[in-house]
Amino acid sequence: MAVIVRRLEEFDEVEGFDCGDEPLNNYLRHHAWTNQQKISIGVTYVAVDESAPRIVLGYFTLATSSVPRDRLPKKYVRGLPPYDLPLILLARLAVDKRFSGRGLGHALISEALKITLHVAGEVGCRCVVTDAYRDKAGWYARYGFIPLEEAEKPSTLKMFLDVRTIRRAIDLS
Amino acid sequence: MCPAVKHKNKDAFPDKAPAPRKTKFQADLAPSEDSMVRVLKAELQLTSNTDFLSDAVALFHWAVAERKRGHRIVSESSAGERRTLVFPRLERVAPQVNLPQVEIRWTDKELESLAGLVSGQPAEPTKTLARAMRR
Repeated sequence: MAVIVRRLEEFDEVEGFDCGDEPLNNYLRHHAWTNQQKISIGVTYVAVDESAPRIVLGYFTLATSSVPRDRLPKKYVRGLPPYDLPLILLARLAVDKRFSGRGLGHALISEALKITLHVAGEVGCRCVVTDAYRDKAGWYARYGFIPLEEAEKPSTLKMFLDVRTIRRAIDLS
Repeated sequence: MCPAVKHKNKDAFPDKAPAPRKTKFQADLAPSEDSMVRVLKAELQLTSNTDFLSDAVALFHWAVAERKRGHRIVSESSAGERRTLVFPRLERVAPQVNLPQVEIRWTDKELESLAGLVSGQPAEPTKTLARAMRR
């Protein structure tokens, strides 16, 4: 299987995608293209096999965001520059369950982090944040994502990865 | 009329700046790639590898610049059928200009944790992260 990760295109086959999680399936089938192309609130990248380049095997969605400086606790603000904190949101990441265990998740997150570094180099961003399902937090932790202090939401956990850590990883690789 | 000046020591007064040093480029090609290069050179009526590389670099440079702007590279047949170039390396340069901006809902606890991490020293990369970032 020769996997390519590229942007979602209008005629990609998404109807058959099944990662076992209905909200993630539903997002890809019904919202990803609209959100990317029409209302511009997230860009979705898909993993496809070269031999069947329209069938989506996995995907992730990215957007940029920022935290207003005045919302950060005062004791930390002193050490930070006087700007809002720019970041990248890894909004979704899912692999079709028929193709799980073949390294697609690794290929997807690898591409997402490479894009993050690129964005950091072009327009600036300080970190990647994701809202991970709690049972997937361990998978993200393997890539260095650190859980943020627990919030009230029981099903998901915000996790953080510093862009400087990703840069260092390039030096090690 | 401008008098001609002849310098005795040419090194002390060079007529012009030295030409920039050229870089040598050597590549190990598989037999199939080598034959592809030969065919392309013949089709493009290029005689030297230098000209071939120079044209290839110019084309790649253009493609990268287009994708950086978020433009897609499309071929169109005489019947109007369009095909979009999908080239994974080019996709890496594409998104930076148009990732949309969204608002995230944060709790105070999350923001405190985030600010603490951002203002501290970055964590060392894990082995899995280093593997993911291999080029």
